[in-house]
Amino acid sequence: MTLWLHELRLLLRARLNLLALVLLAGLSTAAVSLGMVEVARQRAAIAAIPELQTEDMAAVIGWAAETGDPGNAAYYSFHPTWDAPAPLAFAAMGMRDVAPFIMRVRALGLEAQIHDGDTFNPELALPGRFDFAFVLVFLAPLFVIASFHDLKSGEREAGRVRMLEALPGGNSRLWRRRGVLRFALLWLGLSTPFLCAALVQGVSPGAIVAVLLLAAAYLWFWIALAAIVGRLRWSSVTNAATLAAIWLVLVLIVPTLANVAINRAVPVNQGAEIALAQREMVNRAWDIPRETTMRRFYAGHPAYAASAPLPVAFHWKWYFAFHQVGDESVADEVAAYRTGLEQRDRAARLLGWVLPPVGMQMLLGQLAETDLAAQLAYQDRIRAFHGRLRRFYYDYLFSDRPFGEADYARAPRFGEDG
Amino acid sequence: MSAVRLIARDELRLMARNRVALIAFMLLILLTLVAVLSAWSHQQSIADLRARHQDAAQEAFDSQPDRHPHRVVHYGSFIYRPLGALAAFDPGVDAFTGNSMFLEGHRQNTANFGDVRQSSMLIRFGQLTPAFVLQVVAPLLLIFLGYGAIVRESERGTLRLLMLQGVTRRQVVLGKLAALGIVALLAGLPAMIGLLLIAGQPGAMLLPVLVIALGYAAYLFLWVVLVVLTSTLVRRSRDALLALVALWAVAIVLLPRLAPDVASSAVPLANRMQTDVAIARDLRRMGDSHNPDDPFFAAFKQQVLDRYGAEDVEDLPVNYKGLVAVEGERMTSELFDRYAAASYAAQARQNGIVAAIGVLSPAIALRDLSMAAAGTDFAGHRRFLEQAEDYRYDLVQRLNRLQATGVTYADDTAEDAGADERKRVGSTNWEEMPDFTYSAPSAATLARGALPGLLVVLAWLIVAIVLLARATTTLGERR
Repeated sequence: MTLWLHELRLLLRARLNLLALVLLAGLSTAAVSLGMVEVARQRAAIAAIPELQTEDMAAVIGWAAETGDPGNAAYYSFHPTWDAPAPLAFAAMGMRDVAPFIMRVRALGLEAQIHDGDTFNPELALPGRFDFAFVLVFLAPLFVIASFHDLKSGEREAGRVRMLEALPGGNSRLWRRRGVLRFALLWLGLSTPFLCAALVQGVSPGAIVAVLLLAAAYLWFWIALAAIVGRLRWSSVTNAATLAAIWLVLVLIVPTLANVAINRAVPVNQGAEIALAQREMVNRAWDIPRETTMRRFYAGHPAYAASAPLPVAFHWKWYFAFHQVGDESVADEVAAYRTGLEQRDRAARLLGWVLPPVGMQMLLGQLAETDLAAQLAYQDRIRAFHGRLRRFYYDYLFSDRPFGEADYARAPRFGEDG
Repeated sequence: MSAVRLIARDELRLMARNRVALIAFMLLILLTLVAVLSAWSHQQSIADLRARHQDAAQEAFDSQPDRHPHRVVHYGSFIYRPLGALAAFDPGVDAFTGNSMFLEGHRQNTANFGDVRQSSMLIRFGQLTPAFVLQVVAPLLLIFLGYGAIVRESERGTLRLLMLQGVTRRQVVLGKLAALGIVALLAGLPAMIGLLLIAGQPGAMLLPVLVIALGYAAYLFLWVVLVVLTSTLVRRSRDALLALVALWAVAIVLLPRLAPDVASSAVPLANRMQTDVAIARDLRRMGDSHNPDDPFFAAFKQQVLDRYGAEDVEDLPVNYKGLVAVEGERMTSELFDRYAAASYAAQARQNGIVAAIGVLSPAIALRDLSMAAAGTDFAGHRRFLEQAEDYRYDLVQRLNRLQATGVTYADDTAEDAGADERKRVGSTNWEEMPDFTYSAPSAATLARGALPGLLVVLAWLIVAIVLLARATTTLGERR
């Protein structure tokens, strides 16, 4: 035990090592703090929804309730949906800064609504976020390199290596002790801020342990690389240069190349084509006999087929029917678009198996529920909710039931199943 | 001056003998070539795709059948953001902004379908472009090749030998600078050749290309000076390497990521729901064209009746519903513009904060300069959004006026079986609507946008040179 303490004292006496540790802990603290600020901002935006919604709906009810027309209610009511950040989201923001986490939908065609984005400043999104995942994946390896590149070569250059190895308990045990000590300090510096933040955010113990273990495993990967390079018995400086070059290749260059390759290999049709096709379908309805649309709609939704025939004048149920038919006509394209996105994501995941930096990023995004899968899951929740909205309004529309003031409160709410 | 040349040649020979360095150098050249080719072909395919989609969307718009003009207001128009030729060198925010926009009446849509949401998360590591290679990778190569340039000589005692032979400190430093400068020149050459090829394309402009070339040359030379300076100041080569890698990591990797967080916490942006609800609130305050009893529109009606000297809207020579549509669109658009301007201003303030932090990191300044000159920065995106909004407003108002003059009020309000047919206007009207044409910024505009970044990079260069000149005078003296 005293040996360990001696080593620790020796390690911390080197100003550079101490500085590196303080810096790493500082960066980690800054990253989790900024992550928490961002998550708090997103939570506050979500918490502000009910007030905004109440105000907006009061205005609609104010004039539309008198008409009693369910079409007016369906057309003018926007319904908010939101994607609350998971407890771990502060650590890996993933795509949450570029994908919307609040979206209002109404019972009209969904394909014209669901691809909209929220307001964000593209120049701020460009470099990527400074979060815990970034510190771990990008920066921590540099600290490993700084403290491991001269583990053995430093002693050799100081002319102490033979003496050290001749000491009782020297040789491999000595290097292992020093290595474990350096690793432990780095790991503590990195994960203590994370642990504090995770406890504050109420992350589940399982997820905390998973992230801590992943961080340790990732650090070990880089330590192993440093050990392999160290075996070549080059000078400390050559070791550092080689390791930094490896870092550059693994962390920046290969993922960037892979991005180009994946996007080439898996072409995804521009999403705009879906919107374009849906618009054609929706607008064509005005130029074809209304009965054609209704027949097609009733064929897909026999529950409403018993509805009264259309009057001569405009009727909302025809309007909503052609929006629904428009959505259904592009269902194949929507599925293909989604499959393409998933294929790209899967290819990147595959790369993560051989490239630890990519793998770490992916795993953290998955644990934090901020990756593509989480975005698609949010879209699925919007789709399900939109389906409930449609059914709710259709029940009034297709049975010509008046939609009174009290009915507005009965509309489905996002997040409540039913 | 031959001493300088001799020292430079000697340094270069040493680098060439270092196999790791040589391989790294070759890799950088290869990477640049791959980046130039892939960015160029990517830009080419985007440009083709967008042009094709734009044509298809325009064709669909023009070939609409007879319709009620208000239907066409909602049929809307799809427009695509064209990319300037220099986007192949630095695509900037293109992947983040979305490249298509749907324009219709009564609402201002965001651009959507950006590449970032269509790519795997890998895009967040950076995109492989010539700009990325020069900004991020090339400085690291210079560091690895040059960190020992001077400190190695003093560590091994050869510096003293050189000076004993009558070589001045200035000549030593200049020789090392020249050697590393040649490396920087060679490293930057493929990207610059790529830039020239891109500049040779139709539509590319000389002035922004020159600004970009000057900016990157200054940036690479800045790193050359920084590397030699550090090598002069420290006592051991390992310290030089560690200090330079740390400097690189902070200036190029850390600060550019940290700055946006500072900016976004300092200047919050309203989200879309907040904006939409606020716009609806303001609209209600101004008046509601859907509400026949609304005081604002009652006054508007009276004003129209007075202008035409008519008793009732039925007696007007034009379709009153069309006039209401024109007035309503004018009001909503005014509001949209006000909210959009507020959002742009907030984003500009955010970018201003990042640029201020860029004074600390020449990498941020260079990035800003490069995007601005390529026309792919936020200002470039905003140019597109503003032109799109102008076009949208003009198109919708043309259609509204068409409703006022082409459809009679009696037909427009009729609900009998044949009314729908009578409300329509001929399909030839759609072809007469103007197409969206993006007017690209002038060379001077682009260059002006790049000026602040260029000044920061040049200021850094001057400061570094002054520091190096100072350090040179005491080179080799024990401190």
